[in-house]
Amino acid sequence: MTAPRGPQPFPGQEKRLRLLAFVRQDSIVRVDKRVEDTAMVWPHLLVIEFIAAMLWSIGLFAISAAFNAPLQDHQTPDCTPNPSKAPWYLLNLQELLLHMDKGLAGVVVPTLWLVFMAAIPYIDRSREGVGIWFTSPNGKRITIFAAVYSTLLTFSLILLDAFLKAHGYIEFASDYFPGGKQLFPNYVIPIAIMIGLSVLLVVIVKRLYGASTREWMIAIYTGWVATYLVLTVVGTSMRGPGMDLFAPWAVPATHQCFAPTK
Amino acid sequence: MLEIPAQIWQKTKTSYIWRSLFRHGYPDSRKNQSLAVFTNVFLHLHPVKVRRHALAIPYTWCMGGLTFFLFLVLTLTGTLLMFYYRPTTEWAYSDIKDLETVVVFGQLLRNMHRWAAHGMVITVFLHMIRVFYTGSYKPPREFNWVVGTLLFFFTILLSYTGYLLPWDQLSFWAVTVGYEIARATPAIGDEFAFVLFGGFQLGPNALLRFYVLHVVGLPLTVGFLIAIHFWRIRKDGGITGPL
Repeated sequence: MTAPRGPQPFPGQEKRLRLLAFVRQDSIVRVDKRVEDTAMVWPHLLVIEFIAAMLWSIGLFAISAAFNAPLQDHQTPDCTPNPSKAPWYLLNLQELLLHMDKGLAGVVVPTLWLVFMAAIPYIDRSREGVGIWFTSPNGKRITIFAAVYSTLLTFSLILLDAFLKAHGYIEFASDYFPGGKQLFPNYVIPIAIMIGLSVLLVVIVKRLYGASTREWMIAIYTGWVATYLVLTVVGTSMRGPGMDLFAPWAVPATHQCFAPTK
Repeated sequence: MLEIPAQIWQKTKTSYIWRSLFRHGYPDSRKNQSLAVFTNVFLHLHPVKVRRHALAIPYTWCMGGLTFFLFLVLTLTGTLLMFYYRPTTEWAYSDIKDLETVVVFGQLLRNMHRWAAHGMVITVFLHMIRVFYTGSYKPPREFNWVVGTLLFFFTILLSYTGYLLPWDQLSFWAVTVGYEIARATPAIGDEFAFVLFGGFQLGPNALLRFYVLHVVGLPLTVGFLIAIHFWRIRKDGGITGPL
């Protein structure tokens, strides 16, 4: 029999209660919660966390023992590798840079996208489908459709851009477009394509699948994920010297020292 | 034979010092399991009970937790790397070379830091995908999604600032790409690039700034955001599940 620990009530006040917290019904405590719905964190959750941490520790050790982090020569400003590439997780932006104005691709588009992404819960305020993958079978179909739509379109646009530029598109634009090779090729056309194809995607899923707000949000988000991945893959494995487009298996080696001609 | 260790164990467990450390018995009863979680500073982020749904790996992929795990690994390996690394143009590269050739387990340490950093970008991305497709940003979790978006952004910034530090050709020219992008910011490009990189070209200032951001500024920011993120998960009722 151990003595009771912790602060003890004063004699005569044993029955006093303290207010510990206000609890909204939709947050911590669910009134209709049944006992068999829950599991004790110790041991059930902690075991999963422990095993996951162990497996990942072992995996990380194994990978680190097998593969060395890259290290090239000491940097020299006189010697530009061709192509110079950003880390892979930013190659999507670097890929985007090839198709429009630098500031637009590198700063404006990602900033606006981050703001839009943060705003998603304020646009789609319904509670439809919380805790269910893809919300509904319809949501799953929309995800697949949007993924295929965006992958194909992004990839085709990259190919089209490479094709047109190889056939004198820039020269043609500077001769005939109002605003020369800046206004239309670098601003108007890319902005129109980005907004136009997104709006078109929403219109299609609304017509084809009768999409709700949650569902067209799934379409837009899937479109972003697919585009982001396509741009990353193309930027990582299909761009060679001069950032020209190559098949992934035919990309020439990087020229480690490319002295710019003056 | 085993009576003596058993007695010692019993004595230890009932000793004044032990009881000041652990205020509950071995967690094999409901009561002690609850106490184990909410009297422990490391575990108290957890509730005492979770819905069974929240334990399902096909549902969460464990990706949020693994992102945090990699953040801890990066903090640990990063701190160890700081013992060997000086963020100056004279020393940065040779310190990395020393790590690879002279320091015992230095190469392994650097590799772990590098691969964990790449891993964290991937896990945070997968975590975000899981949260989106399961509709876990919906009320009352709207603001936590915003915090998560910021964490995604800062994870990439952390990785990117670390990329410059070896001061080799790979890192230098990769960060040059980012520098050119920063300069192309509409209206405030040059000023923005000047503040971020400490000059109009990548030099000692840029290296020092990236180092300070990488080891102090960004980890602190991310640490605060993680605390808010976890706290709000608790307050909003834990991992989502079907209503």
